Amino acid sequence: MRLIPRALTRSPRVGRLAIQFGMAFAIAMLAVGMIGFSAADSWVSSRIDASLRYHTAKYLQPVDGHGADDAAVAAKILDWQRRKVLSERTYVLFGRDGGRIAGRLDITPLPPGFSDVRFLGGGRNYQEGRALATRLPSGSLLVIVQHSEAAASLHALLPGVVLAISLVALVMGVSATFLFARLTANRLAETQGAADAIAAGDLSRRIQTDRLDGMFAVQADSLNRMIDRMEELVRAQRLFSSNLAHDLRTPLTRLRGMLARGVADGDPALSGTFERAERECASIIAIFDALLRLAEIETGRHPSAMGTLSLRPLIEDVADTMDPVIADRGGTLEVGRLDDVAITGDSDLINQLLINLLENIATHTPVGTRARLSLERDADGAVITIRDDGPGLAAGDLARVTRPFERGASTTRGSGLGLAIAQAIVRFHNGRLDLADAAPGLEVRVRIPANDSPGPIVDAGAAA
Amino acid sequence: MRFLIVEDDPVIAEHIVAGLGLHGHETTLAQTGSEAILMLDRRPHDAVVLDRLLPDINGLSVIDHVRRQGNAVPVLMLSALGSVKDRIEGLEVGADDYLAKPFDMDELAARLSAIARRNVSRPEGSRLQVGRLELDPSSHRARYRDASAALNRKQYSLLAHLMRNTDRLVTRSMLLESVWAYSFSPTTNIVESNMSRLRTALLALGCDPIETQRGAGYILRSDRCA
Repeated sequence: MRLIPRALTRSPRVGRLAIQFGMAFAIAMLAVGMIGFSAADSWVSSRIDASLRYHTAKYLQPVDGHGADDAAVAAKILDWQRRKVLSERTYVLFGRDGGRIAGRLDITPLPPGFSDVRFLGGGRNYQEGRALATRLPSGSLLVIVQHSEAAASLHALLPGVVLAISLVALVMGVSATFLFARLTANRLAETQGAADAIAAGDLSRRIQTDRLDGMFAVQADSLNRMIDRMEELVRAQRLFSSNLAHDLRTPLTRLRGMLARGVADGDPALSGTFERAERECASIIAIFDALLRLAEIETGRHPSAMGTLSLRPLIEDVADTMDPVIADRGGTLEVGRLDDVAITGDSDLINQLLINLLENIATHTPVGTRARLSLERDADGAVITIRDDGPGLAAGDLARVTRPFERGASTTRGSGLGLAIAQAIVRFHNGRLDLADAAPGLEVRVRIPANDSPGPIVDAGAAA
Repeated sequence: MRFLIVEDDPVIAEHIVAGLGLHGHETTLAQTGSEAILMLDRRPHDAVVLDRLLPDINGLSVIDHVRRQGNAVPVLMLSALGSVKDRIEGLEVGADDYLAKPFDMDELAARLSAIARRNVSRPEGSRLQVGRLELDPSSHRARYRDASAALNRKQYSLLAHLMRNTDRLVTRSMLLESVWAYSFSPTTNIVESNMSRLRTALLALGCDPIETQRGAGYILRSDRCA
């Protein structure tokens, strides 16, 4: 099992969630504030109405069994005016003709029942009040107006209080969300670490559940069960492929032995056939080996010696190796610019990558093709470019040929796995492989992230 | 030489016995791991060909058992499990070489001879000289009598490996393993093309001691370096 070293620490993205949550909280608090306010307001109003009713009843209270007449009411009003200098209530009695009989408030007669009135209080400012007008049996009209300071200040306070509540709620909502997200992220960090390790091919990793509680523990348990199942499947698949390897290799070994014997002691007429059959047997084995190799790299089962790998000496070594091969097939290999750049890599796999790409040129281009190999360092890392001036590939083939068993239109040789293996190796190194039309010819560009950390440099040279 | 063959598949076992017989070797056949352990106790062998998957005990356990008894007999592990990981496992448990099935008979014979004579092999790093042919590790130059030629890294490593295994057959895949350290099989003639450059350089010195064994590999003949 392996771990791809890379920056796995992603900070939890809570920004938008926090704002949304804060807004929702603020709107909810705004609604609560408004409901509370209108409840308070209607309570105050009902108290005022009750008080108006009470005072009206008190003024119109029958005297000696008769309903109160205008004179009695006017007398009560005058009496009240003498006693009270300041009050929230004012009494006015209008006659049948609408003329004021008693009371000092400068208003016109109101329709019977409750109503809201505006009047000049203290002679200067308009004030608002609640009025109850009651028709007397005589046809006169008693109006009691109550001006409530409390109700007025309540109304004046309303916008400010609601705004303040909303702002506080917004701030609290956002902070609560951030806090919640942080706590959640801390609990999820364990899960995320395990998931990243699994994505990198380490199926032996499990999420530690001892520090988790509630739904996080439940979720981690179910993820762990999923990984158990995945590991089981991978093991079964691995067992299958190793059994397949054994089951196919054994008959192939027998076949090869029989063919060899046929070549050795068969009659001369048949020995050509035996030799051809032996060659076919060898190419079956080669395809089989390439397939197993591809599967190994793709599933991360290749026993990898990942380390800091200096690419320049490795590329010089590959160029030395492939120069005579390409020359023997009538082409040339030039080495262009070679920058110093190190990657985190497996030298055996990078060797195979470069050899595969150069063998493609040796095998699939006409005599006289020139190839050029270069290594540059750009902002992102190493860029290995292999370019030839051969016939290139048709536009439609460029994307297709890196898939297993796909070949360029003109080619029939080879396992059809060379570029698929190259692609798998590049992916294994977190890089990308691009094929482009070099007009004329083909340009293969391999990008692999650089490793600038100082560390032991793995010797890319050969063992001898 | 006398080799012990441990292989349960009768067709393959017969193929190995017959093939090694043609190369002039004597063989003893064991079909199970326990039989192999008995036979190794009974008489000395120059090397063992050990199948990894046996009916009774695993080939890896056989090596383990033999090594714990202090027997250092060279072992070539033969296996249908051909991945790099399987190979590393085999070498780690104490096999001297590992060959995946299906194999070439010449390849098996060459590798067996190499491990059987490993104790007489020249250690790496010593001054390389065969007859009057000399290799200078510091300058990567080959010298023969008064002439000298510069070799590139691959040609140098190739010649060095052949000189360390003078008069023994070295196969292409052995060269790919030891000179290039590749665990994969190239599809082009990497060994042949590089060998041909090396031989051109040696011819220019007036000495070409390398002999090609058709379809099998190369031998550096010490008598041609006089």
